[in-house]
Amino acid sequence: MAMFCLQSCASPLVLFGRRLFTPRVITHCSYHKKVVDHYENPRNVGSLDKNDQNVGTGLVGAPACGDVMKLQIQVDDSGKIVDARFKTFGCGSAIASSSLATEWVKGKSVSWAYDDQNKDMSLGVDEALKIKNTDIAKELCLPPVKLHCSMLAEDAIKAALSDYRFKQRDKQDNGVKASI
Amino acid sequence: MLSLLARPRSSRGFRAVINCVAASRPSSSDLPPRGGPGPAERRPPRAGPPVRVVPRRSFGSAPAAPGCWRCGQSHAERPAFFCSSCRAVQPPDGSASLFQVLGCNHSFTLDTQQLQKRYLQLQRTLHPDNFSQKTKEEQEYSEHQSALLNRAYRTLLKPLSRGLYMLELEGMPIEEGTDSTADPSFLMQLMELNEAVEEALTPEEANRIGQDTKVKLKELTAQIDDALGKGEHQAAKALLIQMKYFANIEEKVKEQLDKLM
Repeated sequence: MAMFCLQSCASPLVLFGRRLFTPRVITHCSYHKKVVDHYENPRNVGSLDKNDQNVGTGLVGAPACGDVMKLQIQVDDSGKIVDARFKTFGCGSAIASSSLATEWVKGKSVSWAYDDQNKDMSLGVDEALKIKNTDIAKELCLPPVKLHCSMLAEDAIKAALSDYRFKQRDKQDNGVKASI
Repeated sequence: MLSLLARPRSSRGFRAVINCVAASRPSSSDLPPRGGPGPAERRPPRAGPPVRVVPRRSFGSAPAAPGCWRCGQSHAERPAFFCSSCRAVQPPDGSASLFQVLGCNHSFTLDTQQLQKRYLQLQRTLHPDNFSQKTKEEQEYSEHQSALLNRAYRTLLKPLSRGLYMLELEGMPIEEGTDSTADPSFLMQLMELNEAVEEALTPEEANRIGQDTKVKLKELTAQIDDALGKGEHQAAKALLIQMKYFANIEEKVKEQLDKLM
């Protein structure tokens, strides 16, 4: 866990009989207890079978910090997300954001309609898509410098949904072909 | 943290302060802008309030005045650490790149031994320890210069930070946020590598992954060198991004080895 303080350099310099700094307020950069909780007791760590037709896998990366995040959803026949798993390699905020995302995404619906005219999947109203990074950041009290971690989690959800929809479209196409 | 020269003359205090300066000094870019030093009578009158000019990558201070703050003598070379005439320590030159600060060629290939030598040479003269009996102004300037040297050394020492800095100078920093153009199979490969490190049960297993990662990093360093040498900044950026991911894996291997040993 990264924790660092900026301290006044007064003590070693007392040897030289002069203080180069006036005492400053010590700035702590520490993780909020909610983030620590998710880090120490992560929910839903693991993997689902990515080859399963009802599993959507979202894989995202954040180049600036080198974080990688995988979020998977399992959707039942009625279009409800019944299970979610994540694996994140990165900072505590990224881990907590993805852990929280899997908690929130469970029970949400995935809906879409097959557009007969355009022969395409048109997006319905995804409850799961309503999860925004700002909500994640607010819940975890993320500082501004870590907001991109919550964005990464939101993008992971979107990627998982997109993958799931792709698979469903293929299934639909195969079904149509089979019936011809 | 780098280990400092063990000169017999060097006091424990010097070492403690160097480490303190290196580890806890706020970066000079966090310090308030210094439009110029000292009371008005020491410097030539200005037309207006000090203008804060921020080049692509500056160190917070406005570009140094063209001459010495104390005697007005113009600087013989840039960046000037000491006045060529009265030898007063100068504030950092905000327009100088980190390469210029440590007297290196602006290139990805760097002789790190030369770099360290130059860094230590400069710290020996600029460290705040040497200014404890001088004026408050000179103490402040030496602090800023010392902090700048630390930052320059840290940035230029490792290929990753050096390359990223070079991109920043070209106005192409790596933005924060998700990379929507990332290759999914590459991300999957990274996931699997990370998982393998996490699941390594013996130091040998972890070391094997560590060795493979080192080889990959060396390959990337050569490719980045080639790309930057040809001015292919987009290509270099993509390679540096890969390097960042692998550097993280290298860190994870070290942590895992600590756990297993």
